[in-house]
Amino acid sequence: MSPNPPTTPYANPVQNMRKYPIDGQALKPIIEAALNWLRTNQQTVNALNVFPVPDGDTGTNMVLTMQAAYDEIVDLAERNVGKLAHAVAHGALMGARGNSGVILSQLWRGFARALDNQETLDGPSLVNAFHQGRNTAYKGVVRPVEGTILTVAKDVAAAAEQALAETDDPYDILEIVVPAADVSVQHTPELLAVLRDAGVVDAGGKGLFFLLEGMLRYVKGLPLDTPLATVQPLASMNLQDTMDTIEPGQDFEVVVDFRPAEQLDLIQFYERLEQMGTSIQLGEGDGIYRMHIHVPADKLYEPIEFTKSIGTVTKAAIENLVAQLEDLERERDLKIKLTPVEPGQIATIAVAPGPGIARVFASLGVTAIVEGGQTMNPSTQEILHAFENLPTDQIFILPNNKNIILAAQAAAQLTVKKVTVIPSKTVPQGMAAMMRLVPDGEPEQVADDMKTALTDVETGEITIATRSVEIDGLSVQEGHFIALLNGKLVRSNTSLKDVVLGFLEHAHADHFELITLFFGADINRREVDVIADSIRKIYPEQELEVQDGGQPHYHFIIAIE
Amino acid sequence: MSDEKNPLGSTRISPRAIATIAYHAALQSYGVVGLTSKNIVEGWTQVLVKDPTHGIEVTYDGQNIIIDLYVIIEYGTRIKSVASSVRNTVQYSVEKALGMPVEQVNVHVRGLRVSDPD
Repeated sequence: MSPNPPTTPYANPVQNMRKYPIDGQALKPIIEAALNWLRTNQQTVNALNVFPVPDGDTGTNMVLTMQAAYDEIVDLAERNVGKLAHAVAHGALMGARGNSGVILSQLWRGFARALDNQETLDGPSLVNAFHQGRNTAYKGVVRPVEGTILTVAKDVAAAAEQALAETDDPYDILEIVVPAADVSVQHTPELLAVLRDAGVVDAGGKGLFFLLEGMLRYVKGLPLDTPLATVQPLASMNLQDTMDTIEPGQDFEVVVDFRPAEQLDLIQFYERLEQMGTSIQLGEGDGIYRMHIHVPADKLYEPIEFTKSIGTVTKAAIENLVAQLEDLERERDLKIKLTPVEPGQIATIAVAPGPGIARVFASLGVTAIVEGGQTMNPSTQEILHAFENLPTDQIFILPNNKNIILAAQAAAQLTVKKVTVIPSKTVPQGMAAMMRLVPDGEPEQVADDMKTALTDVETGEITIATRSVEIDGLSVQEGHFIALLNGKLVRSNTSLKDVVLGFLEHAHADHFELITLFFGADINRREVDVIADSIRKIYPEQELEVQDGGQPHYHFIIAIE
Repeated sequence: MSDEKNPLGSTRISPRAIATIAYHAALQSYGVVGLTSKNIVEGWTQVLVKDPTHGIEVTYDGQNIIIDLYVIIEYGTRIKSVASSVRNTVQYSVEKALGMPVEQVNVHVRGLRVSDPD
């Protein structure tokens, strides 16, 4: 065997290894394999971190600790296994990072001490080493928390001891210990509530498992550089994250829930899936497995066919990633940035009928948004919730609809905070009022200013008549477009464009400076552009702004100021 | 006193209560094998004191909570890592229990315990 085997045992299948005793030089590649396998699965371990401490991630910490341990021995020609183990322990101690790293270094310290003066490692001395590792690790804490790497070390030591009754071959013992470590890791949530709540297993314990499994994989000549065959608890699968790893060509996401007919051979399972696509993930919970993969269009059904062949498919879903990605980006764009408020300042709550309008209010400095508007009035409770927990006592509410003013006033009665309702009846009125907001100002003065501002703007609302009626001397047919100026019906027509232009004429838009169009959810952008172009032609002196208001029912909300 | 006012009254949390939370968190933290009082002369007789105010000092200046821990660490562990993880554990536990930010956790390593010579 070469003293410095390459990192990928692909090229160096371990043969005849078992014929020789494990001396220092034979232990070296085993340690390296443990490190490599942990590194390969580092992200899996990191993903299990539940304790929100800022000192980094468990997987990374354990890898760095093991790296320091391996660096200590990489150039060491020591043949004595005890001395080599001491060098590993020394390196782990010096490089220990984070809680799990410290515990790992203690495990190595005990392990090494058990091998004092040993030339080679045999079965009984390996068992003793696991035992000493466990003992040393437990000495380092007054109140050991079970359900952690400590528990896994304890179960490993116990399994090793039992194995000794059957065999004294160290490789056979390792083969018994690794599944025991796996079982122990799977049981950690039963011992530790934070893990159970988060639906994960213990990260440090999982890391220790990977170290041991890496050793076993090396002995068996299995690859150490691809994270094959990992099953995570179903609850911890975060498929949203896989969106970051979309590769060209892998356009479809396939998720299949299935119950395997017999014990899954994970390695074979992953090998088959790898021929189909990328971003493979497997989760398990209560015997149900969930498989996730990204595949190209021509292999769309293969993952489903394959899982069908090995068990019962309970659910299958296919999604077009390209479309999904677009949705995700749109969602990101829609994130609304509200202005935080400080104690003593005036907080403003605006009722907004659509995402675009909410965004405009946010940009004007409102503290909270309540969704609502015509035909979807928010309840008093919803309005109350919006401001109850704000850190200030001065609350201004902009109902932005005449039907919501009452609910806002009712909310004001239900709180100990000082609430002022600025009776804005329309969205443009609310916006005009927001222009006058001075968060640090004298509340009464500011409220007066804002109320005065309500009349600074003329509001137009364009919608469809829901019934035929004659009102204000205008006869309206059901299904026709109608225009309201400050709540009063002023125009009706079958053409949306004519209604908008008629409204502007009626409102004497040529006497004003700025026309803002908020177009609604029921109208497409092209139609909007056509209408906007006509407005620009007729009112060249006025500035025209077009905004995506996203409000339902109203094709346009128009502000003229 | 750490306090928080709201229109219905105020909540006061004594430094001793905070010390108790910190005490339990510290002793669950890996590598810490005991707390000792600040005064090193009397300290050695009081390793592993059950009174949580020994070995833990909590100061509150009206705005910031500052916790000082006087700890004994297991010999053979990497002191720097143990200290940083006890700091994180204590800060996390106290903030979680109190809902108030902890400005500083200072870890004073007052001694090492040697379990086994090696």
